[in-house]
Amino acid sequence: MEDNKISFGKRPKDPLKRRVWKDLRRDWKRYLMIFLMLVVTIGFVSGMYVANNSMLSSLDSGAEKFSREDGHFRLSAMADPETVSAIETGELADVAGTFRQRAYDEAEDEVKKAVDEALAENVEEQVAEAIKAQVEAAADQQIQAAKAMGMEVSEEERQTMIDEALDAAMEENYDSAVAEALDAAKESEDYEKALSDAMDEAKKEIDKEIDEKYTELSDRYGLDEDFDPVPVKVYELFYKDTDESLTDGEKSGGIRIYKERTEVDLYDILEGRSPENEHEIIIDRMHADNAGIKVGDTVYAGNADFQVVGLVSFVDYTTLYENNTDTMFDALTFNVSMVTDEGFGRIKANTRANYAYTYVNEPADEFAEKEMSDNFLKALITQVAVAEGGDLEIKDFVPAYLDHAISFAPDDMGSDKAMGGVLLYILIAVLAFIFAVTISTTLEQEASVIGTLRASGYTKGELLRYYMSAPLLVVIFAAIIGNILGYTVFKKVIVAMYYNSYSLPNYETLWTPEAFIRTTVVPIILMLVINLIVIIRTLRLSPLRFLRHDLKRRRRKKAIRLPRWSFLKRFSMRVFLQNIPNYLMLFVGITFVMLLLSMAVGMPETLKFYQDKMPTMMFAEDQLILSSTEDEDGKLIETSAEGAERFSVYSLERRSDVFDEEVSVYGVEEDSSYVKLEKNTDPSSVYISEAYAEKYGVEKGDTIVLSEKYEQKEYEWKVTDVYDYSASIAVFMTIDQFNEVFDKDEGSFSGYMSNSKITDIDEEYIAKEITSDDMIKIARQLDHSMGSYMLYFQYVCMIVAAIILYLLTKIIIEKNQRAISMTKILGYENGEIASLYLIPTAVVVFFSEFLAIYLGYKLMEVFWKSMMMTLGGWFTFLMSPSGFVKEFVLVFAAYLIITVLDFIRIKKIPKVLALKNME
Amino acid sequence: MSDKEKKFLEVRGLKKSFGSGDTHQDVLKGLDFTVGKGEFCVLLGPSGSGKSTLLNILGGIDSADEGEISINGDKLADMNEKSLTRYRRKHLGYVFQMYNLIPNLNVKENIETGAYLSDNPLDIDDLLKILGLYEHRYKLPDQLSGGQQQRVSIGRAIVKNPDILLCDEPTGALDYKTSKEILRLIEEVNQKYGNTIIMVTHNEAIKQMADHVIKLRDGMIRHDIVNTEKLTAAELEW
Repeated sequence: MEDNKISFGKRPKDPLKRRVWKDLRRDWKRYLMIFLMLVVTIGFVSGMYVANNSMLSSLDSGAEKFSREDGHFRLSAMADPETVSAIETGELADVAGTFRQRAYDEAEDEVKKAVDEALAENVEEQVAEAIKAQVEAAADQQIQAAKAMGMEVSEEERQTMIDEALDAAMEENYDSAVAEALDAAKESEDYEKALSDAMDEAKKEIDKEIDEKYTELSDRYGLDEDFDPVPVKVYELFYKDTDESLTDGEKSGGIRIYKERTEVDLYDILEGRSPENEHEIIIDRMHADNAGIKVGDTVYAGNADFQVVGLVSFVDYTTLYENNTDTMFDALTFNVSMVTDEGFGRIKANTRANYAYTYVNEPADEFAEKEMSDNFLKALITQVAVAEGGDLEIKDFVPAYLDHAISFAPDDMGSDKAMGGVLLYILIAVLAFIFAVTISTTLEQEASVIGTLRASGYTKGELLRYYMSAPLLVVIFAAIIGNILGYTVFKKVIVAMYYNSYSLPNYETLWTPEAFIRTTVVPIILMLVINLIVIIRTLRLSPLRFLRHDLKRRRRKKAIRLPRWSFLKRFSMRVFLQNIPNYLMLFVGITFVMLLLSMAVGMPETLKFYQDKMPTMMFAEDQLILSSTEDEDGKLIETSAEGAERFSVYSLERRSDVFDEEVSVYGVEEDSSYVKLEKNTDPSSVYISEAYAEKYGVEKGDTIVLSEKYEQKEYEWKVTDVYDYSASIAVFMTIDQFNEVFDKDEGSFSGYMSNSKITDIDEEYIAKEITSDDMIKIARQLDHSMGSYMLYFQYVCMIVAAIILYLLTKIIIEKNQRAISMTKILGYENGEIASLYLIPTAVVVFFSEFLAIYLGYKLMEVFWKSMMMTLGGWFTFLMSPSGFVKEFVLVFAAYLIITVLDFIRIKKIPKVLALKNME
Repeated sequence: MSDKEKKFLEVRGLKKSFGSGDTHQDVLKGLDFTVGKGEFCVLLGPSGSGKSTLLNILGGIDSADEGEISINGDKLADMNEKSLTRYRRKHLGYVFQMYNLIPNLNVKENIETGAYLSDNPLDIDDLLKILGLYEHRYKLPDQLSGGQQQRVSIGRAIVKNPDILLCDEPTGALDYKTSKEILRLIEEVNQKYGNTIIMVTHNEAIKQMADHVIKLRDGMIRHDIVNTEKLTAAELEW
């Protein structure tokens, strides 16, 4: 230092900022793992939000663009124009008045007829008496004259004379006399009075009967409650249901063919064009994909062949529900299509009188929509009731907001979004905690440096910003890349998944602020907060504490005494005790993975189980519901199938805010061989199926309340017991009780069930055959929509498990690298060291897996139940022992791979590390 | 030297104890001394004499139970944690027995961590040359010898040209030759930059190069000597 001149320089930029990049580079493996996990998760969830939002927006705008109905109803026959016009007014019909007037009109004729008959009888009698009296008087005069002339007339001769004269008089005068007398009688006041009295009496009877019936009707449909007329526009939306086949005669499913739609419930053409002649048809795109039908192919609707000219998405069939009461949609064997009016005529099947309606005044919100729908239904019921002919019935009524074909897809997308969001936050929280543990370890390792920097004048804020930078940078970059991938790659994956399940229209990718907030802002804040808490807690310590490496908040007074195990065992136990926080994190991570694995392994197992077992779970292999129990000649329809039994079935609803579940109420014979109920003497109690009990948590002794569809009538029953039947949500009672409850005639029934095929009943009397296929729709569709992804998902879970294990075991080894280095100096071999540091982790992983499998399974049961609560029917979430073993093996295999990496890591720790910079 | 400069660092009635009850221990039992501006002051004493505690209190990273410390007229007791940090940032430099360098920053960047704290830092390249580290400026700490690492740590402390350089056993982990090199460097820094240096050591020989020697034992000052026969670092032997 020859020169005493001091030269000053410029203040450099914050060197710690440069260190952030160096930190990222130094620890690139850890950051890369976290980065990749975040990118995939954020990307996937972002893609889900973008796809959801874009698709929902497309569905929303499609409602207006394609003039979606506000609901539809189906009648037993076509309604006449007057009835349609009356329905369109949305006004309640004067049911009582109309029926009263009709009854009066009918009564008037009958009363007049009865009075006239009585009058005629009376007049005839009187006329006959008068003629007889006149004839007798004339005969007596003649006899008196004869006697006066000395002639003797015997009594016998007198009677003969009278009879002859009477016959002659009757023949000659009776009819005209009766007619005259009747005319005269009808002119009389007495006749008018008699007629009026009789009419009054009849009206009294009619009023009594009508009042009673209307009161019942009013109670049932709530007709006397507040009512605002809901004017609507009604459109004919007639369709035919028939078999679909791709080659002539070979049924491949069912097809619903609509007449040309021009005003309401239009469609988006995804490929091709609209039909232009009677031989062309457009069909649902989703079903076409599933059935392998392409534009140009021929499909048979019944016997009529059509060329497919377009694949479309009908605005009222985004989900292919054949009936709104179906437990699940069915895009595999059910198709919706449209032909020209001429083409419609070519199809030999009954036309269903289906009508769509739109509200004249749009409802303000969903509450208003519900109220309008309720009011419209009341009006419809009354208008149909008073329709001319008197035999029109409502067969179906589905407002759009309750129409699964319309609402299921958007609802499902909504629940996907919610579940995706939850999984994202769980994973972010797990990663944030891994970051926090990593940072905490780094802070411990760098305690002297931090102490020195703090002693030199670095503020806590500067160090906080520095230690927060790497995690935040990783999250920000992951969020950016994740969002880019979300809007490009993952969005396409999700959209493909949705297109694989639903009949969705074309869509346009939209910028989705919600996706940005939920997948970028929230994870960054979550990461920021969790890390901030950990770092601030540590940085609050004085510089001296850092310099002394004294970062423990609570001082351990004494080391835990261990039993007299071998030294190596105690050593391992010390490693375990030292790393308890890491192991807790490890446990949380494994539980998270097990939850995902429960879904990935359990869902396909559950669906497969039900698809395989459903035929054996049905209480009878063949169940026929008859359209009529008597044939044309009034003879009871019977079967000679072996073991056939009569049964009755009726559908009621279990209402809730979430979902109105259709419940099948069965009436079975008292000593049924198929549904073995114990003698039930209480008419207000029933059995419920196990599926019912499990889904709604109902137990023996509880009370259940079911409602008539579209009505306010409720049935309240006490549960006698739970019947071992898992195939559907059902209620069982004896057929006698059934007939009494539903006001049926004694001996009524709906159909037959038997374990033998019932073949001797004419098809025209069969309304429906209940097959196991109907029951497994839900399982089959879920399997089709999600099942194929689950195997991949299992491997994704394994990778997630491996990454979490990698990150946490890395921390454990890094924390102990000096000690490991020292044990090497002492002469321990790598194998021994590995066993000291890896066996505690292996034991923790092993036991954590058992507990995590159980917890994951239980959590999955909760998720599953919440999902099933929004669907019809019930499947218990099942996991076979082999499923649990698979979960265990997948995670343990991931651990073994990581253990190999850890062993290599331990081997690489240099001996000199222990000697470097030791204090 | 003016009176103010003579009392650049003033310690009065300084007491510090640790623990309570049976474990209670008085570490500093009432110290009074002053250090002049630009002085090279050595705090000597055996282990447990309280010298490191005293240094930490002077550096504002530990607090006294009683007594007063003023540095250039500023009383440490009046400062809250934030002010103390600001004070350390502006006026103090620290050198520890362990160098506490940031492992993934190179030599120059480690020194920059000190320079960043000052609005008017020394020229880093010049300083690197003075420290004999210019050739090694792009090396990482684990590529350096212990002596070189300690040089970096001294560079980090003095680059902001602090009023006071606090050194806690800076040669404690070094061999004889390297220790002498470090002492020579500290001596040169003191001469060139005029920093007040307070060095804690248990090496009696070092007192010979100091302007002022304070010997502690059992928390009390046993000797407070002004050294009139200073040796250079090179002349020291132990």
